[in-house]
Amino acid sequence: MKQVSASIISNSEVMPGVYLIWLESPQVASEAKPGQFVMVRCGEGSEHLLRRPFSIHRLDNNKLALLFTVVGKGTHWLAQCRAGNNMDLLGPLGNGYSIQPDWHNLLFLAGGIGIAPLCFLAEKALNQGCSVRLLLGASTATQLYPRHLLPAEAELIITTEDGTAGREGLITDFLPDFVGWADQIFACGPTLMYHTMAAQSQQLLKVKSVQISLEVRMGCGLGVCYGCTVKTKNGLKQVCKDGPIFDLDDFTGEELAYNY
Amino acid sequence: MTASGTFGYGTEYSHMFDIQRLGAIVCKGTTLEPRDGNPQPRLAETACGLLNSIGLQNIGVNALIKEKAPIWASWHVPVIVNIAGETIDDYAQLAGKLDGVAGISAIEVNIGCPNIKAGGAEFGADPKSAAEVTAAVKTATSLPVLVKLTPNTSHIAKIAIAVAEAGADAISLINTMKGMVIDITRRRPLLGNITGGLSGPAIKPVALYMVYEVAGAVGLPVIGCGGIVTASDAIEFIMAGASAIQVGTASFTNPRSPLDVLQGIEQFMQQEGIDNLTDLIGAARH
Repeated sequence: MKQVSASIISNSEVMPGVYLIWLESPQVASEAKPGQFVMVRCGEGSEHLLRRPFSIHRLDNNKLALLFTVVGKGTHWLAQCRAGNNMDLLGPLGNGYSIQPDWHNLLFLAGGIGIAPLCFLAEKALNQGCSVRLLLGASTATQLYPRHLLPAEAELIITTEDGTAGREGLITDFLPDFVGWADQIFACGPTLMYHTMAAQSQQLLKVKSVQISLEVRMGCGLGVCYGCTVKTKNGLKQVCKDGPIFDLDDFTGEELAYNY
Repeated sequence: MTASGTFGYGTEYSHMFDIQRLGAIVCKGTTLEPRDGNPQPRLAETACGLLNSIGLQNIGVNALIKEKAPIWASWHVPVIVNIAGETIDDYAQLAGKLDGVAGISAIEVNIGCPNIKAGGAEFGADPKSAAEVTAAVKTATSLPVLVKLTPNTSHIAKIAIAVAEAGADAISLINTMKGMVIDITRRRPLLGNITGGLSGPAIKPVALYMVYEVAGAVGLPVIGCGGIVTASDAIEFIMAGASAIQVGTASFTNPRSPLDVLQGIEQFMQQEGIDNLTDLIGAARH
């Protein structure tokens, strides 16, 4: 983990309100694992005291990409950053997803902006010779992550809640169709998605390894402030240090209702 | 030094910069038994501030003595253990357990945590209770005792005098200020604990005034804390009468802040031709 000043290579709006930033940072890129995140300082001075956590979206040699939705003042500031500007990063942080070496069929569930850490993981899995099926869900067609930015070798199944693209419904509605194929499942999305998956786990997911990525407000990103503590079936965990990747089996979802 | 709750146990930052150069490290608030803390959400960013309701989640004093103190014993930088209790006896027991433990240089008594139901800030808001806690801790330990005051009182100088008379070796202030944020879309308080403690630059003028007030009321060393981000912030506290300062929330924005502040103070002294920091202590009081 390093604190670095990374140079912005590009910053573009890839879908309404969602930005993709490419940064040059050999120090962070050389250590990064899929599922890990960086803490980004947003703005100068003391207006925004807390860094914002973002999953590492993709990796390309010395470069890394972040994908984020503009939700508040910090991300609004970030959306205004231009190529050539520098960004103060702390990372890579957290544990990351782990692919079992002898498991071949990997099912990915990306709910909305939940595609952020899964692109990096899919690229790694495909490089290792795994077979990847990606269930990509969004509320509506315009909020779907662009097809041309996804790894071409991944088999894509699109769902939208309003049926404007792909299958109509939530991605978890279609999980039963694919669960028999999968050796391992990786998910990132809203807390409600994990609740639905946990409710299905008795019938569907029991024999599978299912890893999910939790999102909670963070203070430090290093396990210092205890701001992101959540209850799991294995006791209290700090999302920044013990996570953000957890087994679905450990997920209780307690206290995280606010995050819907 | 680093402010309690913002620098963990020091170990978390020891690979990021040379923490041995700091004046002291104050560790996370520690209780007799491990504590789970408060429900989520625990953090809310406010204008130039941070509202937290962690609720003193910590590993407990026994784990601290077993797991952390041996690491500290190998460091040059002194480590001060911040303690919090629900009863006067809790504080006395904590102080007794820490007495004589290698790696622990002093105790900071937290009588102002706004985020726990029993004890905490109740002791800090009443001169008599504050004095009782101080006396109990002093009796139980031979370590130097700092008492950390809460700003959530209308008579900070009276509390400081009571604590000084009860035998405190130094006074640190301020702890966080009680506050809240409301989520207007959900029409309810944002924090799981409803209220939290405000820190960061938003509270600096209040902290500075209270340091000024307390430094004028007691003869003890005063340690200033509250919203310090830059060396000039720190120098303001020193000129108000603080002998030392703590950097807290700024460490989240920039983990190197405590060291940057220290280097900035040295630079200021060089510019101003000051050899000894004591020449600046209380310089704004004349």
